[in-house]
Amino acid sequence: MTAYRKHSSRARMLALTAGILNLGAGVAVAQMAAPPPGGPPSGNAPAPPPPGRGPGAGLAPPPLPPLTEAQKILTALPPPMKAGLFPQPPVTADDPVSPADPRDFQGIWYHDQPLEVRIQKDMYGAEPPVTMAGANVIARRVRSAEAGKPFINASAKCLPPGPQWQRDLNFPFQIVQGKTWVAFIFEEYHGRWNISLDPKTTPLPGGTDFMGRSIGHWEGDTLVVESTGFKQALWLDVDGTPLSPNGRLVQRIRKVNLGDGKPFLEIITTIEDPQYYTNPWNIVRRFAWHPNLPVFKEYNCEEQVGDPSGVTDAGLVVETAD
Amino acid sequence: MILTCIMQRVFRTNIPAIHNWFVTTGMAGMVLLTICTPAHGQATTISDFEGVWKMAKPSNSLEASTPVVLTAEGRKALAENKRLRSQHKYDDYDITISRCSSPGVPRLMLTPMRFRIWQRLGVVTFDFEWNRALRQIDMRGRPTEPLLAPQMTGQTTGRWEGDALVAETVDVSDRTLIDDIMPHSSDMRVTERIRLVDADTLEDRITIDDPIYYAKPWGGVVTYTRQPATPFFPEHVCLDRRDTAARAMRGK
Repeated sequence: MTAYRKHSSRARMLALTAGILNLGAGVAVAQMAAPPPGGPPSGNAPAPPPPGRGPGAGLAPPPLPPLTEAQKILTALPPPMKAGLFPQPPVTADDPVSPADPRDFQGIWYHDQPLEVRIQKDMYGAEPPVTMAGANVIARRVRSAEAGKPFINASAKCLPPGPQWQRDLNFPFQIVQGKTWVAFIFEEYHGRWNISLDPKTTPLPGGTDFMGRSIGHWEGDTLVVESTGFKQALWLDVDGTPLSPNGRLVQRIRKVNLGDGKPFLEIITTIEDPQYYTNPWNIVRRFAWHPNLPVFKEYNCEEQVGDPSGVTDAGLVVETAD
Repeated sequence: MILTCIMQRVFRTNIPAIHNWFVTTGMAGMVLLTICTPAHGQATTISDFEGVWKMAKPSNSLEASTPVVLTAEGRKALAENKRLRSQHKYDDYDITISRCSSPGVPRLMLTPMRFRIWQRLGVVTFDFEWNRALRQIDMRGRPTEPLLAPQMTGQTTGRWEGDALVAETVDVSDRTLIDDIMPHSSDMRVTERIRLVDADTLEDRITIDDPIYYAKPWGGVVTYTRQPATPFFPEHVCLDRRDTAARAMRGK
């Protein structure tokens, strides 16, 4: 064993031990035990330590993998708009409470976090694992919007935008459910999201839907919903993070009650689409219990968008196909 | 009149024609009793309209069961609608047909397709198969402000009178029709008495009060038959159907 390796091994031991006893002191010890500057002594070239495990690394998290060429396209884009949030009347002690059953999601929920206009990180803080095709689509959409000519999408045409966009908007939705089904009723776009938990007894209607087909099952108290078969490609966010019609969304939905009187739904969405992403990746959203928002404002986009004279683009342009 | 509880239905069974205050939780198989106890001395009861419904006799018109007496302004507006209809200029008087705009209140209650009713958290929600349209009745008894902008469905508040739900709708946009031809002004007030005639029959007695167009209130009764319970309607996207049909007609 080389002197370097012995040294680094001892440094790791010291750092770990000190870290358990006292993080601050551990860091200091780790720093004292760090190798001298200029790298290891010459001689047999040692294998580089794994990321985060080198001498002096202490308890630091491993560095993220380097960006791919496709991801660099995303990081070079101008940043997305920061969305605001209209304040909602607070839920009080007089308002109905969420049912005690952790599998009972019924009631009114509201996405009380600012809208992510562009999904820039996955739930672990990593860059979305786009393919070159995915990066180019997002870049094309962002640049077109920056030039004042955003592309037409489902939302602009008053069509159902798919489950991810539909949930993300900061408008209340109601959940109703039975043993073999769950339905979301949204204020925005007067949308619906239908989930069958038992296609044999409670089949989804036939046809290819804008919202896709969603089949769910329970894993413990988490409802796992797989959505596939979309009638057209989806925009997963305002800036156009894409999902092709053959893409798949897996939504893990659970009700979280931290005992502070503010239960929320947590929905982790796994995005799978080999055309646009090198591997499945995850985002997470939370939706606050808001039983004091049961009356929805009317959303009648058809009044404007349905104008048969066709002059409804509002400045949006048709996107050229991939 | 304030009820001393919160009405919170948990589940519906899939068995049609059960009308009582016992609902079965699908999950645990327990029977969950949901009762709202009126304050002492109150005679009010609450009916359970939840389920799937459809008009017993489809009709595009609100068939009047009382005389319809138009004012001069009302006669003019109706004549104009008829003229535009004869010329197929639908977008000039009926943007539901031309644009899939919400038929609003009361016209949504004339839908030939199915609808579901939910009674949750103090609000009655009508969940329509046609275009996934929605209308709601706020039963919470809170004071309301006039809407900043009128809506096709206006703003509806309701209360119980015996076993009937009495709903009042105001602030209805004048871009809707009462049915497929009858006009209304922005001053229209719609009163509905909704009740179960029997376990499988729902009735909506609709009264139109619009002194600008009608010399006296008038109305009709619409009857609905309970349908087999289903949690899902097919996804109905009116604009997509309209545009698909238009493309087919153009041969594209």
